[in-house]
Amino acid sequence: MVEAGRSPNIEILTSARLEALEGKPGRFTASVHQEPRFIDDDKCTACGTCTMYCPMPIVDLFNERLNITRVPHIDYAQAVPTSYYIDPRACLRINYETCNLCAQTCTAQAIDFSQKPRELSLDIGAVILAPGFGRTDLSVLAKYGYGRFLNVVTSMEFERLTCASGPTEGRLVRLSDRKPLKKIAFLQCVGSRDETCGNGYCSSVCCMYAIKEASVAKEHDPDLEIALFFMDVRTQGKGFDAARERAEEKYGLRVIRARIPRVDQVDGRLALTWTTDDGKSCSELFDMVVLSEGLNAPKDAEAIAEIAGIELNHYGFCRTLVDSPLAASRKGVYVAGAFQGPKDIPESVTQASGVAAMASELLSEVRNTQTVSLSYPEEDKAIESEGPRIGVFVCHCGSNIAGVVDVDAVRDYAGTLPDVVFSRDTLYSCSQDALKGIATKIKGNRLNRVVIAACSPRTHEPLFQETLRSIGLNAALIEMVNIRDQCSWVHSQEPEAATEKAKDLVRMAVAKARLLEPLEKTTVDVSPTALVIGGGAAGMTAALCIAEQGFECVLVERSDQLGGNLRRLVWTMDGQEASKVLDDLIKRVDGHPMVRVMLEAQVKDVSGYVGNFTSSIVKGGQPVAVDHGVIVIATGGRENRPKSYKYGRNKRVLTQLELEESLAKGKGFLKNIKNIVMIQCVGSRGEDMSHCSRLCCAQAIKNALKLKGIKPNIRIYCLYRDMRTYGFSEDLFKEARKKGVIFIRYEPDRRPEVIERDGRIKVRVFDRLLEDEIDIFACLVVLSVGIAPGDNDALARVLKTPLTPEGFFLEAHVKLRPVELASEGIYLCGLAHGPKPLDESIAQAKAAAAKAAIPLAKGQAEVASTVSRVDKAACIGCGVCESLCPFNAIRLFRVNKRRKAETITASCKGCGICASHCPTLAISMGGFTDEAIMAQIHAFAGEKCV
Amino acid sequence: MSRLKNNSCQVGKIVVFCCNYTTSVSTDTLREAGLIPENLDVKKLPCTGRIEVSALLDAFEQGAEAVFVAGCRSDECHNLSGSRRAEKRVGYTKRLLEELDIDPDRVEMFFVHRGETQPIVDAVREMTTRIAKLGQLHSI
Repeated sequence: MVEAGRSPNIEILTSARLEALEGKPGRFTASVHQEPRFIDDDKCTACGTCTMYCPMPIVDLFNERLNITRVPHIDYAQAVPTSYYIDPRACLRINYETCNLCAQTCTAQAIDFSQKPRELSLDIGAVILAPGFGRTDLSVLAKYGYGRFLNVVTSMEFERLTCASGPTEGRLVRLSDRKPLKKIAFLQCVGSRDETCGNGYCSSVCCMYAIKEASVAKEHDPDLEIALFFMDVRTQGKGFDAARERAEEKYGLRVIRARIPRVDQVDGRLALTWTTDDGKSCSELFDMVVLSEGLNAPKDAEAIAEIAGIELNHYGFCRTLVDSPLAASRKGVYVAGAFQGPKDIPESVTQASGVAAMASELLSEVRNTQTVSLSYPEEDKAIESEGPRIGVFVCHCGSNIAGVVDVDAVRDYAGTLPDVVFSRDTLYSCSQDALKGIATKIKGNRLNRVVIAACSPRTHEPLFQETLRSIGLNAALIEMVNIRDQCSWVHSQEPEAATEKAKDLVRMAVAKARLLEPLEKTTVDVSPTALVIGGGAAGMTAALCIAEQGFECVLVERSDQLGGNLRRLVWTMDGQEASKVLDDLIKRVDGHPMVRVMLEAQVKDVSGYVGNFTSSIVKGGQPVAVDHGVIVIATGGRENRPKSYKYGRNKRVLTQLELEESLAKGKGFLKNIKNIVMIQCVGSRGEDMSHCSRLCCAQAIKNALKLKGIKPNIRIYCLYRDMRTYGFSEDLFKEARKKGVIFIRYEPDRRPEVIERDGRIKVRVFDRLLEDEIDIFACLVVLSVGIAPGDNDALARVLKTPLTPEGFFLEAHVKLRPVELASEGIYLCGLAHGPKPLDESIAQAKAAAAKAAIPLAKGQAEVASTVSRVDKAACIGCGVCESLCPFNAIRLFRVNKRRKAETITASCKGCGICASHCPTLAISMGGFTDEAIMAQIHAFAGEKCV
Repeated sequence: MSRLKNNSCQVGKIVVFCCNYTTSVSTDTLREAGLIPENLDVKKLPCTGRIEVSALLDAFEQGAEAVFVAGCRSDECHNLSGSRRAEKRVGYTKRLLEELDIDPDRVEMFFVHRGETQPIVDAVREMTTRIAKLGQLHSI
């Protein structure tokens, strides 16, 4: 968010709404109405004086009405823009022309009551709709006693309660009497999968967020008892099942399968009554009930739809098709996030990148005509070369750090360390105003080395480096200490020891900072071609998208035809013929002048770095060298082949895809077939593979409905663990039940058995409702076998990238960088990333194409400055470094008849293996010199810095 | 009348007649949480309209110190007038108790909101206070 706020090419209009949209793709005119903030964001320093003096209390909407704030306020310290605003509804000055206290006390003179609403007319090329989701209606919550019983809260409120900077500063208390909580219940599917309130769909995210909130609560108080009431446990995201199982085990969360109809209160405690699968009635008392509210369509969805001229689906979300999941019904209008359908953060972020690609395709001709680029002031070599003048900034992170670590003590301690000329604590170092403050302090005190004691450098170091660059200091002159993860989080129960450790870490960082040297940042030219590996739906979409954005693309496919798994699919979830989608894609790929398709080809070797890769692609036994700037991995996955359930031994045991293929051949296939048993989670979730394959439940139901459509009296039994028909697929699940498909849940420790006798097949399953084993005679057994990773090992070795334990490619960050690999210039989409249905693969392919196009469009790539350097005088040319470098980034060559090593800076990833093995210590790492690390170690031992 | 069977209990026995829909929380749960006394006997009927005067008197004979009927609020009764019938019978029982020289406050009719547990717990408390005030019936 801060990054978006800092970009010179993003203008943020707050309190604004779209009033009209006219014109055509590429040339829209948008009328926007903007309400005034009454505080000038350029002048506001976010000091908070106005809030302090305002006499009018108002409920704090950001904190879910659990807190009181004042008319001029900021929602939270990291908000963008980091400026206060005035809520006009309760303001005495605006409504009664009295008061005016805030304006008088504002030293920055930022408060301006003369601001009027603005009507803007914007000339734009494309529109992206991302209004998010709406909240569950109060009438739905009221069914569970919300509003009547104080201790019934929504999950959003609970989220604020667990937040360190929230209304209770993270203390978990009952809202009725502020006493500590002992026992909490989470009720799932509130306002989701509930036809009585018109929300038949599944909100997809609540199961996982409830597990997260329960885990956070247990972290706060290990003695808490927590029960979660699920219908199905839908944690289908990548790595979610593993995380859920870990949480259940680590925190002892009770998972109860029941839907609670209502909440009752006795003497301030909340009574819940439910019935177990085997018919027992249970009741229990809780201190707090958390309603896991679902995601609704945005409140003003209809208005947006009318203004933007797009269609909504029957639940009021934006209507999209499986083969174009990001395009709204009007050309040039794209949609991302929960407005397209309920979804989690990774999918939202993916879609966001995806729509950026769509807009970029549309507007590729006019790229860079209206953008401005950020420039930094010249580095001030004079200050840099002075002796170290260190500034230490210790962050409170609200109470995230300060709640445990004594920040003031750490700050004062830092001030006593050698060469530290300035030390200061900040509430949120990463907030815009704090960054401004840090910049002024650095300038004012002529600081030339900075230590930030805050959170993780992985997420925040670039931000602080930017700050340094913006005032003419080299980005390498900063050292971060992670006193959040390493002190306040892990030692939350021992505040004193945590404070001592924070001091130790700061002392070490200061010791290192004294020896920091500026590093040069180099840029390399990018060869404007992309290599897309894999010609399935994802690969073709990515290739087309990159090509449409104006860059050449080489699409490498191992088999003799394009299509991948899509070739085997017959119908899409929304009933389109998959072959049409496929043919259309292939036609567009084949006809595109910028896409070069290489069939029966494999990538054997890749060398180089972002912007300058060279790959050796073997086609027909002949290696071909291809130069390219970026790589998109879309190698797909494959249908798992189970060994169990008589698969492969009895021809009447099929997979869902095989059933689909047979059905496509004609109705004759169903002659003499009366009973079909479908078994879910064959292979997935523990049998052959640990992960959930995400799409099998919806696929099984799609096929069951198809069967029922062809032959209505066919009997279908579906044996499942959790039906994970998330999002709008829930409608199909409901329809299948209506059409008489029988669903029987089984537990993983009592899996169904396929028994052959006298040429007949029966499936034996333990029915939990009957509490007995039942045998179902089956004419066909259809297995949901799940998605296994493709042969990713070889490619992963070539690209030197890690795989997940399941064998899929590992993204750089699950939530924030879902389509990028940790190595720069390599992107990921489709089944190679993890199992997912067609629409999600397509969206992800667009996202990968968007990311891949960034270096291509820039034409230059910055090379990381943390690279190794060889001291030629000390090098004896032994070659150990060359043999060990995993990136081929260090080479030996002759200088005056002596062998010397040299780093190929652009290839170097800065791992440091060479430096640690050099027998003469001739290699040092930028930012991590031997001297600096030794100084750090000495400082740890408490010795005076050498 | 027979003696109270369990004299060790501090609070005398209370018998509650209520309909199937009155409360869903089990008495065990309420007892464990200390919300109702040990010596409380909940008898569920399909509808409180089913209650008979003899059953109320029988409860006393079986050792109850107090008896009450918890029926649905008159506008909420599944069977339209079930709880109002029960009210009439409780009134009649009150008169009979008076004739027997027993305080009519030992039997009572409560109308409770369906499915809510708080009113029942409150009613139990009310009857417990009454017993404490009236003294023991069965200890002669």
